This record gives sequence, C-alpha cells and structure tokens, in this order.
Amino acid sequence: MDQSATYIYGVVPQDIEVDAEATGVGDPPAPITSIRHGKIAALVSDVSPGRPLGTPKDLYAHEQLLNATAAEVPVLPIRFGAVLASREAVVEEFLAPYHDEFAAALTELEGRSQFVIKGRFVEETVLGEILAENPEAAQLREEISTLPEDAARDHRIRLGEIINQSIEAKRDADTAAMWDQVEPVTVMQTVRPPSHELDAVHMAVLVENTRQDDLDRAVEDLARKWADQVTLSLFGPMAPYDFIVSQEQDGE
Amino acid sequence: MTVQPVGSRPGGGVQKGSSGSGLADVIDTILDKGLVIDAYVSVSLIGIEILSIDARIVVASVDTYLRFAEATNRLDLTKSRKPGLPEVVQTVTSGGGGQQAPQPEQLEQLEQTKERSPLEAAGDKLSDFSDAVPRQSRQEG
Repeated sequence: MDQSATYIYGVVPQDIEVDAEATGVGDPPAPITSIRHGKIAALVSDVSPGRPLGTPKDLYAHEQLLNATAAEVPVLPIRFGAVLASREAVVEEFLAPYHDEFAAALTELEGRSQFVIKGRFVEETVLGEILAENPEAAQLREEISTLPEDAARDHRIRLGEIINQSIEAKRDADTAAMWDQVEPVTVMQTVRPPSHELDAVHMAVLVENTRQDDLDRAVEDLARKWADQVTLSLFGPMAPYDFIVSQEQDGE
Repeated sequence: MTVQPVGSRPGGGVQKGSSGSGLADVIDTILDKGLVIDAYVSVSLIGIEILSIDARIVVASVDTYLRFAEATNRLDLTKSRKPGLPEVVQTVTSGGGGQQAPQPEQLEQLEQTKERSPLEAAGDKLSDFSDAVPRQSRQEG
C-alpha cells in the first residue's frame, strides 16, 4: 500500500451518517467514509492503486453498500470501478462542478427506490407449449428422432431457431403484460435486455417507498396467474441504477 | 441498518431478495448501470486495472438452437411425468440465448468485455461463484 486513491460508490445528501461498520471494495475491505460538499456528499473508500478490482467480493461490496444506502436515503449510484486520485479530487472535479445537478436528482429520488422484476420461463412447460402451437416444430422433432444424428443437424438448427423465435414472442408478450400490471403502482419503468435465453421478463421499476406493498401485490397477482409457466422474482429495494443517466451516457 | 424483512409468502410464488439472486444479477446492475464517472471527470480519474468481466449480451447462436433442439428432444410429450423433474430443470443452467430474431447468416457470438486485461481469471472466478450465472457459451476458434 504505497499510496492510496479514492474509490467512489455514489452520491447522497450531505446530512447522512455513514455506518462505522460499513466497508467497501479491496482486500481487506476498506471502511466507507463520506466527503461532503454543499448539500451533497460522496460515499468513498481508500483503495490501493496497485491491486486490480473486480473480484466477486468487490462487486458484492459495491452493490450491497449502495443497496443498503438506498433503503434509507436517496442515492445516485456510480458504475463499478470509478477511482479518483484523491479525496480532494472528488470535491474539485466531481462534487463541486456538478453540485446542483446532483442535488436536483437526489431531490427527485427522495422517497423512491428501484426494484427489478425478473421472470424465467419454466423450460419444459414453454417447450411443450411451442410444440403444441407450432406444427412445423412438432414435425421437426418427429423427424429428428428418426434420423441419424449427423443427418439431423439442419433439422435441429431449424427447430432451435423456431423455438428461439417463439420464446422471443412470448417474452415480448409477458413483458408487455407485466408492464401494464405494474404501471399503475410505479413512478417509472424500463425494460432491461434479457440476460438469459429463457428470460420471460426483465424490467426495472422506480416506486414510491410508500407503495412497495402495492408493487408486491401487483407482481404476486401475475405470479399466481403464471405459476406453472414463469418463475418470477422481485429484487429490491436497490439504488436507482436504471434511472440515472448522465448526459454523455445517453448515446450508449 | 438496512435489511428489509424478506418473507416468502405462501401462494405468491414470487421470490424476493434485496438484490439479485447471484453474481449475474449483480453484474447486470453495477457494471451496466449507474452513473459513469468518466462522463464527469477526466482529469484525475485513475485507471485501476479492473479484472475482466464479460457482460453477457444474449444473442442467439447455433449453439443456442442446438441446445433448444436437444432439450425439446428430451421432452416427454406423453406427459406421464410431472413437470419440473430435477433432471429436466438442471438442463437450464447454461447457454447463450436470443435477443434478436437473427437470420442464420447473422448468427454470431457477441461478447463485450468490460475493460482491461486478465480475462481468464475473472471468468474462472465467476463460474466458481455461482452456477446461477448464465454464462455465454463460446464458439471455438
């Protein structure tokens, strides 16, 4: 540890208190401190520039600190891996120039947090549905079982392609259904790209903290309806990762 | 200070947690989302080496198709078995996937590498960490 740099997790209102026990990235994990400037503060910890970041432990530490924070106060989460040269640099180059922008965003987030809704098709069920709905798929399956493995390769690719397209169509339908289901109880929502080929729904929502129970109920209603077809999960509250965009990120 | 009581409710069927169920969910979130500090700061940003993490962009590939076909082939259409048998469920643990509806000639494997060097190490770590991580299957060569 020749020299240390400053790792940044997020921006919070200046009047928060950091738990003395809270730790962040690094090995051993460094204690979290705050750097205040005006109405806002940055959550930071010291980090050694010599050690690469990105172990699973580091990733969890970053996420858990922000989620724990988000459960209590508004927070602007910063993407994993941001390190500045010093604590002074955090103020001079980050907090001071953008103070008003950050303060305004925090005000807007007051009393709100993010949840992620994730649904995964039950493979056996969804495949059975597709075979029942699509005669070509059912026929290909029959043919494949009678052909030698090498000869059936094209058939198998075609069958898989049909299945993939059918799953995409079902995903779109389920995502739309979930969107309509939760829209009345949320402030904003955004669809995330699927993270798995069997994803049925992947969506982030921003919700008033007072309406979390309503969100629970809305998702549960659909979960009951989809019981055999889709496994649903609801994650949160977490920091509003999906609803914070800096201008230069827009084009991504 | 932070933990919300997380109760599974009978009949609801919604799994709950304060964050994602595994490292994959964490990666989806904190590596893909949130403020990018580079957009604000350029002077003293330090480029600490970040162990590579493959962000999984789900793109349908021939591998995916073959895997689906294989899974379909194993389906017992007589429905003599109840759904959710463990051996069937376990086939769901890996693979790429489909985002677009690609034409065959467009099939390709996209892999976005989030920053800088030693790729292998992190890949191994990730796979050790959780079998819930839907890793992207790679094509040879």
